[in-house]
Amino acid sequence: MAMRELVTGGAACAVPGSSSSSNPLGALANALIGSSSKTQERLQEIPTSTAATSESRFYTDTNDHLRALPGSDFDHSLLQPHAQGSEFLSGFRSANQNGFADAWDEIQHQNQIPPHFDQFHGPGPAPLPQPTLDGPPQRVLSSFLHSFVESSHGRIPFRPTSLPLLGLSEGDKQCIRDRSSIMARHFFADKSEDFINAQVNALLSSLEIDNDARVKGPMPGRFRELEDYWNESQGMVRPGAPAGDGWITEYSQHRAAHGDPDAWAHSFEQQHGANGWASEFEKEQSQLTSIDQMRGVNISNFEAMEQTRMLAHTLAQNNDPKFQHGLLDENSKFLQFVSKMSRGELIIDDNQVKPAASGDWAAEYQQQYSGAPSWADEFARDQAILLSHGPNQWVNEFSTEREQHGSVDDQWVNEFSKLHVDDWAEEFGQQVGENSADNWANAYDEFMNEQVAAKQRSDASRGVYVFSDMNPYVGHPNPLKEGQDLFRKGLLSEAVLALEAEVLKNPNNAEGWRLLGIAHAENDDDQQIGTLDDNGRNRHKERAIDWRLALYFSGYRANTAIAAMMRAQEADPTNLEVLLALGVSHTNELEQAAALKYLYGWLRNHPKYGTLSTPELPESLYYADVARLFIEASLMSPEDADVHIVLGVLYNLSREYDKAIGSFETALKLRPHDYSLWNKLGATQANSIQSADAILAYQQALDLKPNYVRAWANMGISYANQGMYEESIRYYVRALAMNPKADNAWQYLRISLSSASRSDMLEACDSRNLDVLQKEFPL
Amino acid sequence: MANSTQLKSDALLEQMKQHLTTDAGKQITKKIGLVYQINIAPKKLGIDEVTYVVDLKKGEVTKGSYEGGKPDATFSFKDEDFVKVATGKMNPQIAFMRGAMKIKGSLSAAQKFTPEIFPKPSKM
Repeated sequence: MAMRELVTGGAACAVPGSSSSSNPLGALANALIGSSSKTQERLQEIPTSTAATSESRFYTDTNDHLRALPGSDFDHSLLQPHAQGSEFLSGFRSANQNGFADAWDEIQHQNQIPPHFDQFHGPGPAPLPQPTLDGPPQRVLSSFLHSFVESSHGRIPFRPTSLPLLGLSEGDKQCIRDRSSIMARHFFADKSEDFINAQVNALLSSLEIDNDARVKGPMPGRFRELEDYWNESQGMVRPGAPAGDGWITEYSQHRAAHGDPDAWAHSFEQQHGANGWASEFEKEQSQLTSIDQMRGVNISNFEAMEQTRMLAHTLAQNNDPKFQHGLLDENSKFLQFVSKMSRGELIIDDNQVKPAASGDWAAEYQQQYSGAPSWADEFARDQAILLSHGPNQWVNEFSTEREQHGSVDDQWVNEFSKLHVDDWAEEFGQQVGENSADNWANAYDEFMNEQVAAKQRSDASRGVYVFSDMNPYVGHPNPLKEGQDLFRKGLLSEAVLALEAEVLKNPNNAEGWRLLGIAHAENDDDQQIGTLDDNGRNRHKERAIDWRLALYFSGYRANTAIAAMMRAQEADPTNLEVLLALGVSHTNELEQAAALKYLYGWLRNHPKYGTLSTPELPESLYYADVARLFIEASLMSPEDADVHIVLGVLYNLSREYDKAIGSFETALKLRPHDYSLWNKLGATQANSIQSADAILAYQQALDLKPNYVRAWANMGISYANQGMYEESIRYYVRALAMNPKADNAWQYLRISLSSASRSDMLEACDSRNLDVLQKEFPL
Repeated sequence: MANSTQLKSDALLEQMKQHLTTDAGKQITKKIGLVYQINIAPKKLGIDEVTYVVDLKKGEVTKGSYEGGKPDATFSFKDEDFVKVATGKMNPQIAFMRGAMKIKGSLSAAQKFTPEIFPKPSKM
């Protein structure tokens, strides 16, 4: 889309029933862009430049305006001041250069008048019209600029002309200089640099504008010599003569390097005219400021971001115009850079990117990313969508576009870049009021977690158990016995390590695996998203590596209970406890089919009830069939607590909670000291909104097993579900104090903190600072 | 398996339905006061979607499209992702950014769609 779309506003700006070229600016753009074969090619590659896709975009209501306007019978109607034209013009107006803007308008209006239009579109290089050099200054300027455009059409060297005093302000001049040097690169995309320079120089010298970007700011003496040289060479400029000045050449090349339609469109988008750079920088600054705020969230990579911020700050101090323009041109890359930084893709190492070397950095970075999809293009497209739609549609557009793109990784940065900074802040910041930075950081956090967890999860889904690193029990003479002792003492995290040592030693020890799975479940860390202890985190922080990345390499566990249990089942396929545990775990994960499979397996492998099952049961296992078999079994031996337990789990699967509660209560009568059974009862009650009862059941479980982390966490859930958030926080913190790896509890704690309006503690939660949390929420 | 068509989200939304009848649930209804439609696909977004309406005006969860006009916001999820978002495992913004959650309707309404409004499942 880029330039053409921006200028033309697409088909929607057209008078209905006519082609988009009936739009005056469109006609202009066609004339201008169309004259450049190179540019044309590029434009055709961009799908959104077709009229069809832009049908619903861009101020469809302006059609009515157009119709109402006098002179709209003309194919080439008047410039619509409220439509995209004003966007275009505001670029010129932003620096209070009304004179220039009017002049521009003037050009546009002339465009409406058939004779001028014919000139415009005249076949072949028409003889250059002599610019009108009398009349009011605006008229003169307009005419003059018009003739410059004409020259581009005819590819004829533009002749500098002596003009009467126009009284252009510095702002006007700068604006004309900036615009003309950019636009010339489009007009003459197929011409040499020298030619373009000459054209621009001719234009500027006629208008008595120095082709020198330094208009504002302190002017140190160091460019004096250059200036003199420049002034001298300016005087010698004749048609076709190349500009000889080294700085100018460099400057122009720099321009040219970024003078492609995207960059032009981007620059055009900014609509800041002479102050474009300043506001650009403000925007980036504001983004950087928010990044700065996020440093509080203990994500080591933000240190690197801080460096980025400092770098930007140094750039801001730098008055070197060359560099400032470099930044303007580079800002797409710059934003890309920042967003890459924020993803942790780029890390600034000491001495690698120094503020002092910032100029080199720009070049280096540009080189590195020259092949990447242009951010400017993305931005321009996004801008266009934003302009044309309300936020709701924007969301839809956004969602639709998401689908069309490639991999998640690249997508994320693209989408992030596309987000207009302000919208971003607004949309995502408002959610937790003043905690926008936290919020954002948390989002980032989770994104990283997701990324890291992805592989782990796929491992886990294949039943791969990932071990802890640095296990002190490796080499222990009898880790199984040690593990069992620790488990009985309720030291679950220690038991996990000992049992891991056991199964490392004896990979086919079903009991080792089973108890390991049970320990994970009771420790409520079977759903780890991944953590490192503080030492680990600090270690990696020092090395400026995202600790989650380190996690990936150091071994991280997800769905550990199921993974361990599957190994146990491998070692002992008919172990009833293992089969039941797998059924329970899958029920917890709401994985009905898998749960049903294992629970049925329990029945089939049971010495007493196995006869009830039909061995050749088809793949399609009906819940009702399995439930019926278990009911039969429970009638067969009503004194067998196990049958009632399995039945209770089955009823959980079908969400017949009352029946499930009945089954568990029956089982508890037979086995009143089974803490895990109390917890099952409690969980069932909680899931059927009997949270008050659930708390009593959990209390029973905890009386029997005080270190039962899952029961503590479940307590928290039950309080939270009753809206007693402060209470729930205390229980979550208690659970976490026992097992900081209980990720579910961390997630729920965060939600409860928000619900209880304790956002002040979110940081402690995000940084997993248990000391602070325990002090604040003692139980 | 015959029941494999059942979604994990069914369990959560069933719990939500019951939750809304409790005092805590009524607080949420009072606080939010919006109607959400949630389309949940078993595997792939937009395919075989099951539609739920979480009506936080009336305090109801119903299956099928909203019939009382236009929901304030409509979300599309994969089954798994909805569970993640509702249980706080995935933040809605991340879900949105990753394309795991699609939004139609009012953005401000969508922003109130947080894990805080859902009851948490307990584990056996």
